Amino acid sequence: MTIYWVIAYFLVLALTLIYKTPIVQGPWLFLFRSFFPNWKFFHAVGYVPHLYARAALANPKAELTWTEWEHLYPRTSQSFWQLFHNPVTNLGLAQQNLIDHFWADLNDAPEGCDPRQFVSYQMVAHFVQGVLKHKYPEHSHTQFELRMLLDNASGNVHTHVMLTSPEEARL
Amino acid sequence: MTVDWGTPFVLSMPLAIRSLELLFALSVGIQTLEFWRLRPAMQNDGLWVWAIQRKDIPTPWIRLSLDALFTPKMFNVLLLTRLLALISMAAQACNLLNVGFLFVSNLAMLIRWRGAFNGGSDFMTLVVLTGLLIAQVASYFTTSEMAWRAGLWYITIQSITSYFMSGSVKLLKPEWRDGSAMTIFLNASIHGPLRTGHWLRKPWLTVTGSWAFILWECAAPLALLEARVALVFCGIAAFFHFLVFWFFGLNRFFWAWISTFPAIVWCSGQF
Repeated sequence: MTIYWVIAYFLVLALTLIYKTPIVQGPWLFLFRSFFPNWKFFHAVGYVPHLYARAALANPKAELTWTEWEHLYPRTSQSFWQLFHNPVTNLGLAQQNLIDHFWADLNDAPEGCDPRQFVSYQMVAHFVQGVLKHKYPEHSHTQFELRMLLDNASGNVHTHVMLTSPEEARL
Repeated sequence: MTVDWGTPFVLSMPLAIRSLELLFALSVGIQTLEFWRLRPAMQNDGLWVWAIQRKDIPTPWIRLSLDALFTPKMFNVLLLTRLLALISMAAQACNLLNVGFLFVSNLAMLIRWRGAFNGGSDFMTLVVLTGLLIAQVASYFTTSEMAWRAGLWYITIQSITSYFMSGSVKLLKPEWRDGSAMTIFLNASIHGPLRTGHWLRKPWLTVTGSWAFILWECAAPLALLEARVALVFCGIAAFFHFLVFWFFGLNRFFWAWISTFPAIVWCSGQF
């Protein structure tokens, strides 16, 4: 009898892979999406959003001199003890999740929409300001880009810029 | 020592419940202590400032209530109360008070992190918490044993489904079937990129590893056939989650899924 239950369970799961349900969206559904897990991890290979940022210093003529673009991507080292306490790595992962949500917001946005209205945009802008203020305390302006990177097993094969923010004066 | 496969092996319900409570308390305790350390990231120049995030909340009166809850002082109280509830669960047992508080406060934590802090581990933590809540609430309408049966089965079905879905979607992707996806994800991981000549850059190894884990994940429902099969499945799963932690830094995944194992082993002995 057990085997029939297990087979039936297999079949139901297989059907869920084939049958596509419509995507339902809403602010509360987004905040409580943990109630509807899809359990698809690390499955899609393709373009991945990455954040780049730079800072500028204004000279007396108010001309801006920009730093090189910097890749704001979290990297940490491994340790066995992080199995029990790993706040820095988890914060880095949460940062990259935010970049993914920012990309999703841009991707779903209608043509001509101002991305600055998105909470994800404002969070990313605030984050960039914080990072660059710490690294370049004297600089007066910041700017960021969302770039889409396509990698294969050997490395990066293509990059395109999805969004370049306006040059922002530091608050 | 020889294993007697002829005699049915069944994990007793009290032992399954106690193991579940202890593992879950440990899992959420680790998460809560990490949130405690991350408080600076939620203030001033940090990434997760409530002054911006509050715009996500569409209902004005809820936004105002959450403004009060997410002040630094109140958030400290929330985290400390969660720790107390977890200690009560580990030291005594689940009851409606500690499980109910953990469930409601978990919803607040989800909102504070825009729906999920760490994706899958938040999903599975909520699954176990929902299973525990089912057991507590249902015990007011039926016997305690029947209520726990419902809670343990809920957790088991979700956990087994997570493995099956995760494996089967990979099976449909050519990059996973040829092993290249594993190298791509490892290079992009928080501990990456893999150094030149790293053993996980060898194509034969990534193909073998990818297929081994895909087939094992897809076979997850077979763990329900027998409790000893479930024990072997859970042993491999623990090793798998440790590798995911080691290479991707996902320590919360390890504990969140491990806490479902007592439910899986108990359910597999019920046929």
